[in-house]
Amino acid sequence: MRIEIARSGGVGGLTRTWTVDVSSAEAEQRWLPLAEAEVPPVPGDERDRFTYRITIGYTEVHLPESRLEEPWRELIDRARAAAVPATPEDPPSSVEPGTAGTDAVRDPGAQA
Amino acid sequence: MPRIHCSIVPPYLLDRIAGLGDPQLALASRAARHALVELDPVLQNRAEALSAPVRRGGAVVGTLHRRIHDAGTREELPGTLLREEGATATGDLAADEAYEGLGATYALLSEEYGRSSVDGMGKALHATVHYGMNYDNAFWDGEQMVFGDGDGEIFTRFTASLTVISHELTHGFTQYSTNLEYQGQSGALNESLSDVFGVLVEQRLLGEPAETASWLVGKGIFTDQVEGEALRSLKAPGTAFDDDVLGKDPQPATMADYVETSSDNGGVHINSGIPNHAFYLAATALGGPAWEGAGRIWYDAVVSGSVLTDCDFRTFAGTTHDAAVQRFGAGSREAGAVAGAWTRVGVPV
Repeated sequence: MRIEIARSGGVGGLTRTWTVDVSSAEAEQRWLPLAEAEVPPVPGDERDRFTYRITIGYTEVHLPESRLEEPWRELIDRARAAAVPATPEDPPSSVEPGTAGTDAVRDPGAQA
Repeated sequence: MPRIHCSIVPPYLLDRIAGLGDPQLALASRAARHALVELDPVLQNRAEALSAPVRRGGAVVGTLHRRIHDAGTREELPGTLLREEGATATGDLAADEAYEGLGATYALLSEEYGRSSVDGMGKALHATVHYGMNYDNAFWDGEQMVFGDGDGEIFTRFTASLTVISHELTHGFTQYSTNLEYQGQSGALNESLSDVFGVLVEQRLLGEPAETASWLVGKGIFTDQVEGEALRSLKAPGTAFDDDVLGKDPQPATMADYVETSSDNGGVHINSGIPNHAFYLAATALGGPAWEGAGRIWYDAVVSGSVLTDCDFRTFAGTTHDAAVQRFGAGSREAGAVAGAWTRVGVPV
């Protein structure tokens, strides 16, 4: 199963998107329960910080960077570490306003 | 149980009423003072900052106090102290750039607009450099500025551009003045004020008039591998970068291209291009040092008390026009330049 991570905001306002493939079992047992347990963020005084949108199937969770705890950091690190920059022959399939290319990645550890 | 304070009367009004000397209004004045005390500390600071005496034409002396910390690639604040006010340069490039950048921002507020630091009350300016590992951002956390070193592939260190430092510190000024809500149009105005005063700090330091300034935010923080000059352009929103990895600068210059999006708090870093461009148009119509003409007008508008937290583009445009009329007179070329600028970006006043 593919999990999409979109990071928006930051002083540059640049949206970066990474994806990581995990097994259905991992998605259902590890990440979905975490996503469903998250409560909507309360606006604070922070400015120019990142916001992460993590999409797992039909479930979407929005996490301000300041609330990003360890399990999510591990998932994001996995997606980013294995990221292969998009090549000119393989352009991003969808570009929203303010959205950079999608670096699709297959996690070598996942056998879906 | 936590108490929730709700007030329909904005703090600046409470403050004005609280300060009234008319004996016939003594009851209202006392009630207002009571209401002010009930406000939470942040709101109270803000109310006091707004009513702080503004000294015009002279610097507010002796309140600049900077502290630069080193996070040592960890994500913990504030980190270890590297340089304090008055200390000699450390030799750490990011720390020294942050120190100088905070000083230049403080100087604009103090020497041009007579404001003592971001809160009007001499608040110490704290920054942390070397935040996180390959960290691609700079931010204001509600109390201090934080700068990453960049990943070396897209971004270099974020202190490399003075406009990024002044942009972050202006978020502090906004927090203690209008506290524009960080969502949608008020959020885009919050961002725009950081860009506007951000470039003014640099223009003033370099002595650049509106005609020859770059009007770029974040010039010098991209690596050589990126096809782009800077993060944003007030002169030509949408043209700052066009890169294979980053995509194209998404900023609109006028309301015709306003972007509706749910990401980035409703596109606060995108639609800020519209008020940014209005400022550029007003500044270049007037010519000369932008921090004196258009900058002064924008500053007056921000501290006028008429910009509420949910202010939209139209209300802000009207407030800048009012500020221009107030300072330079109805029918002045300044008032005309401001009205013309907003009209050209599709926000008629």
